[in-house]
Amino acid sequence: MATLAQQHYELSGHDSYISARFQAMASPCEFLFDTLDKSLADSLAQKGVAQARRIEQKFSRYAKDNLCFAINNAEGASVKIDDECYRLLAFAQTCFELSDGMFDLTSGVLRRAWKFDCSSHIPQQRQIDALLPLVGWEKVTFDQHSIQMKPGMEIDFGGIGKEYAVSAIADIYRIHAPDMSVLINLGGDIQITKPRQHKLPWRVGIENHEHVISIVQGALATSGDAKRFILRDGKRYSHILNPKTGWPVANAPSSVTTHAPLCVQAGCLATLSLLNGKDAERFLQNQDVKYWCTRV
Amino acid sequence: MQLNKTDLKKALFAASCTLLAGNSVAQDWDFDTAIMYYGEADRVQALEGIFQAKKTLKDDKEFSAKLVVDSLTGASANGAVQQATAQTFTTPSGNGQYTANTSETPLDDTFLDTRVQISAQWSQPLAENYVVSTGANVSNEYDYQSIAFNGVLGRYFNNKNTTASLGLSYALDSVDPVGGRPVGLSTMVVDNGQFSDEAAYRSAFDATRQTGGEDGKNTVDVILGLTQVINRQWITQFNVSLSEVDGYLTDPYKVVSEVDASGMATQQRYENRPGSRSKQAFFAQSKYRFESSVWDISYRLTNDDWGINSHTIESRYRFLFDNNSYLEPHIRLYQQGEADFYTPFLREGDAVPEFASADYRIGKLNAYTFGIKYGKKLKSGREYGVRLEYYNQASQDVGVEAPGGLNSLDLYPSLDAVILQFDYKF
Repeated sequence: MATLAQQHYELSGHDSYISARFQAMASPCEFLFDTLDKSLADSLAQKGVAQARRIEQKFSRYAKDNLCFAINNAEGASVKIDDECYRLLAFAQTCFELSDGMFDLTSGVLRRAWKFDCSSHIPQQRQIDALLPLVGWEKVTFDQHSIQMKPGMEIDFGGIGKEYAVSAIADIYRIHAPDMSVLINLGGDIQITKPRQHKLPWRVGIENHEHVISIVQGALATSGDAKRFILRDGKRYSHILNPKTGWPVANAPSSVTTHAPLCVQAGCLATLSLLNGKDAERFLQNQDVKYWCTRV
Repeated sequence: MQLNKTDLKKALFAASCTLLAGNSVAQDWDFDTAIMYYGEADRVQALEGIFQAKKTLKDDKEFSAKLVVDSLTGASANGAVQQATAQTFTTPSGNGQYTANTSETPLDDTFLDTRVQISAQWSQPLAENYVVSTGANVSNEYDYQSIAFNGVLGRYFNNKNTTASLGLSYALDSVDPVGGRPVGLSTMVVDNGQFSDEAAYRSAFDATRQTGGEDGKNTVDVILGLTQVINRQWITQFNVSLSEVDGYLTDPYKVVSEVDASGMATQQRYENRPGSRSKQAFFAQSKYRFESSVWDISYRLTNDDWGINSHTIESRYRFLFDNNSYLEPHIRLYQQGEADFYTPFLREGDAVPEFASADYRIGKLNAYTFGIKYGKKLKSGREYGVRLEYYNQASQDVGVEAPGGLNSLDLYPSLDAVILQFDYKF
């Protein structure tokens, strides 16, 4: 009972819901619709997939003809931005301030030195020192209409883009299907628009968790990756980098999943907790959020 | 990092709402359509189509446009009293006649019109805690044109739990009645064969028509409003409004009968009303949401310098069902006192007053409406509804002694109507 539609998603009927599976943002994605009306699910899936692709195309750092590319290749010139981009930058600004400079969308350039490929290769300090001048959110100036930064600096929306897409798609479903529960799952970042009928939970499997999680409402987001690390001399280096030193954050959990009303909130809390290294759990406890930490 | 501050979560949650706010309100167009039938027993029938489109843009800006088309056919009471004999009247154009049978309310059955009304409204936040809304409205029918503008300024207080608003509107109407505007209280010319030729009749008819004077009217309305959210279930609203109308306020198609001591109508005079009207209104509404129902009750008090005062009590109770449908009984009670110059008829021999009208709409009357509506919201967010209502209006005796034969006739006839409406939102 699977159909492959134009937008490249696979619609399947289940006992009490319909799912739409597709690939986006380099991850497996799915929408679960709490309905058995296939044509309705199909039209909703189209809208959601279109939104996911739109956000991916606009903010992906892998594309060559998008806004992100224009910003990262402006060579010091000012680049015009739209309202959506401004809102993302303003959100990143808040996260930067709340984390005392640890959450930094410009820290991606450090990956030119760090390759988290499970090898034992560690970069030279001089390599890192050469990159550090290109890191620092405080060096970015932006307002509602434009953004400007030093030549060579790069912004990576990856830290918030996927979670933002999840919440943005949830908003679309709240408008187009206000009475239906929809679960949005973009590569493990999840949000539910409203509880299901008959108080049934949605059940989803999350990478790095052995068990299937039952979720009634709210959002889940995961930061960290148990498969991306460097192991050297018995010491494990996580792929979470401290933008101030250019080195991985010490003693960080390999992955953190948090629960919050919106996916952007859950995502940020998870990332901020990783940046706290050994204090990750304490940070989450202080924030009074439900979380799952994995330390390998 | 600020480890010990749960403020961090609050700040983060607030920022995430700002991040998404620009998306969540940018919606597609919402369309609202309705078709309504209104039918009075043996009198006016109206069919009305409503098409409304609304778009919420970024930053809480909102645009809406509405088109209303209605078509009226049938007869309406011309104001003359019933008689024990048949009566003949001249049509408003002067080109024909219509009759009322014995003991029958005289009805002008030449009533036929189509009205088209287009309106547009724009609203947006102005500064923090302020919202402004402006709109225009154009309406056109065969003998009537209207153009109106409005502006409302709203101010939020108390975390948006209180909204105060000031609204102003100005309307300019022009009236071009069929057959021209009659001279107030002039006698209707009826061709009973007394004229030597057509030209003689025409010249007598034309003498009852105004040549100059006010042919339109303008209306200024001021509305002060207060909306108060009491708690999550309960919201209340209060409005005070003032309305000033100047111009031609007479109904050119209505007459007042002049009767002799035996109750016989000796002539029909065209009605005449004052050239201005000041109206005040007070409105209070309470809406309460229970677990699975919503109760809405309101009261309106109006008063004007024509001497008309009215009370309206209206209540709706919506029963919400699990399958997203609802059933909503509706009741409306209305009571109105008559205008100072309202009279069911004039007496022969008495001095002709400056103003007089026998229009039941400005007479003393009691009315009620009973209705029920069924609505269902579909999973796609679309919604439909069916409404059926019964309306009864009973004109009341204003205490004028009915001479002779008028005694046994119905001077204050009542009116019944049914309303059937279908609406669909998508």
